[in-house]
Amino acid sequence: MSAIAKPFIGSHTTEQEDPHEHLMHDPLPRGEMNAMVLESMHTTTWKYWTLAGILAFLVVTCLVYAWYILIMQGLGVTGDNRPVYWGIFLVNVVFWIGISHAGTFISAILRVLKIESRRPFTRAAELMTTFGLVQAGLSVFMHMGRVWLSYWLIPIPNERTIWPDFHSPLMWDFMAINTYLLCSTMYLFLPLIPDLAMARDRSTGWRKTFYKVLAIGFRGTEGEWKNLKTAMNIFAFAIIPVMFSVHTIVSWDFAMATRPGWSSTVFGPYFVIGALHSGMAAVAVVLFMIRSTMKNMKYFIRPEHFDTLAKLSLMVSMAWAYFYFNDYLVPWYGGDKWEKILQDFTQRGPIGWLWYFMLFCNIVVPWSILWNKKWRRTPWLMAIVGLLINIGMWIERYVIIPEALTINRMPFTWQIYVPKLEIFLTIGTFALFFLLYLLASRLIPLIPVWEVQEGQEGHILRKIGKAQIPTVSEID
Amino acid sequence: MSDSTMLLAVFEDIEPASKGIDTLQKLGLSEDQMNVISGIPVKETILGRPAAHTHVGRIAISGAILGLLFGLFLIYGIPFLFPLDAGGQPFYPVPEGFIICFEMTMLGLMGFAFLGMLVDSGFPSYTPKEYVPQISDGRIAVLFHCPRGASDEFVNALMKIGALSVNPAEANQL
Repeated sequence: MSAIAKPFIGSHTTEQEDPHEHLMHDPLPRGEMNAMVLESMHTTTWKYWTLAGILAFLVVTCLVYAWYILIMQGLGVTGDNRPVYWGIFLVNVVFWIGISHAGTFISAILRVLKIESRRPFTRAAELMTTFGLVQAGLSVFMHMGRVWLSYWLIPIPNERTIWPDFHSPLMWDFMAINTYLLCSTMYLFLPLIPDLAMARDRSTGWRKTFYKVLAIGFRGTEGEWKNLKTAMNIFAFAIIPVMFSVHTIVSWDFAMATRPGWSSTVFGPYFVIGALHSGMAAVAVVLFMIRSTMKNMKYFIRPEHFDTLAKLSLMVSMAWAYFYFNDYLVPWYGGDKWEKILQDFTQRGPIGWLWYFMLFCNIVVPWSILWNKKWRRTPWLMAIVGLLINIGMWIERYVIIPEALTINRMPFTWQIYVPKLEIFLTIGTFALFFLLYLLASRLIPLIPVWEVQEGQEGHILRKIGKAQIPTVSEID
Repeated sequence: MSDSTMLLAVFEDIEPASKGIDTLQKLGLSEDQMNVISGIPVKETILGRPAAHTHVGRIAISGAILGLLFGLFLIYGIPFLFPLDAGGQPFYPVPEGFIICFEMTMLGLMGFAFLGMLVDSGFPSYTPKEYVPQISDGRIAVLFHCPRGASDEFVNALMKIGALSVNPAEANQL
């Protein structure tokens, strides 16, 4: 008996995708792309300056002035008190370190895997790493109280004979975050050099001097490219385990303590995946802002890029749910008295709604939206999803830190944490992050033009049968 | 007085640049008498050039070893010099040692890869160099030494295979 293939009833023809909607298959002359990127950097409207002014005002009032109050009056002006000694400051540290994972993940892992759609937005993500780590560092210093004594963390000979204890998870954290900050800043700078040279060749006045200094004399000779590419390859491979180590060590700040809610062997990977969850989502938000507010960016940042980010976000949100369930189930099943009380407090306590809202933002929102291709390719919708995921991830850290600290094995100390001055400092760090990003967007090329051109050189449309199939050759 | 003159040939893109290099080789120039300058990295095999040499890898590995030694000093040297009893923890723990040693090794590896890139490329350098801004617009330039008196022959040969310009290379402030 022979079988005849028949179309399904009601089946419709497959929509043919326009290959030119992909940046790699829609090349422009390099000179034109350079001009577009420089024009986007040089264009500042009154809206830009108004936003910059508002952010600067928030930084001065909420960060600088509030920190001054904190230094003058001491940590008593914050909500940190027994039993919650680690409040929003630590929530912010973990949150910002999480955001910083986006740059490395997108730039390094996607570079190693040769995922081509990464090319136009690697720098936007790398900048988030550096600026995110700055906020994390500031939050640590704020929480330190007597910030002028922070040099005590450095093992230098001193008359006090006080030495940092390298057996403490906090010292591991200090070393890991500094390693990550230094390495990610160098990793941001390396691929930026050819673009700075491009900007140097086309600038005048103070910009010319600025780019000339930063381009460090780069011309693009064979030897210079070889050295640059070798260094970038070393960074791309080496920074991935450092990225994993940083958030794992951050998780050990908690997991090494034998407290209910914290002592967990799954905390390391759970924190890493949480960091990627918030980082990926934050990149979508930032890309939407760049695309909507900067000139010519619609050519470089396209729906296909939001699609790539959304697929990664969906995958990461599933992994996050898996790890969260692991972290939830084992203490629940174990039946330890204090763990049970903490879980009841988290879910049914006075701020139990936060827990449900966290699950809504981190699981319900991505799972219900990101499966749909059309929605994944809608930038404003992706920005909203990204924003909600970040709110969810910030709450997750709030649940882990101040809420878990509220319940300990000494019930007479239980007291709900109410943040005070730290709310302003939190607003200040967010304002500083956006202000730095806003200023950087007009100072350095946010699009790695040479990487885009390099990718476009390797892409062609190949005719197979009646279709034009996007084809990529490995030329790098 | 030098017995050669330096010329800079500018090509539209990779194909004519590759032909230009062929032409220069046929005219008797050796590989070390020419250098390609481009706005994107172009694999040596595409242009028929020998692989450029780099010391960055070796410098990075040296950095990793130094970083590891520094990490060992931090985790084991400091408790040896300044013992600090913290809750009966061992002074020379192995598992904790991995953490600091790993961080310092990676910092050394990447820090020295960065420094290696700078040193091996001669960066930063702000002296005048042979360069034209069209290179960062996607053009490919070939900088070469040609025997004094043979300039016309080289220029004509390169213009014939599609060079946009072939001029005496002038060192300009970048």
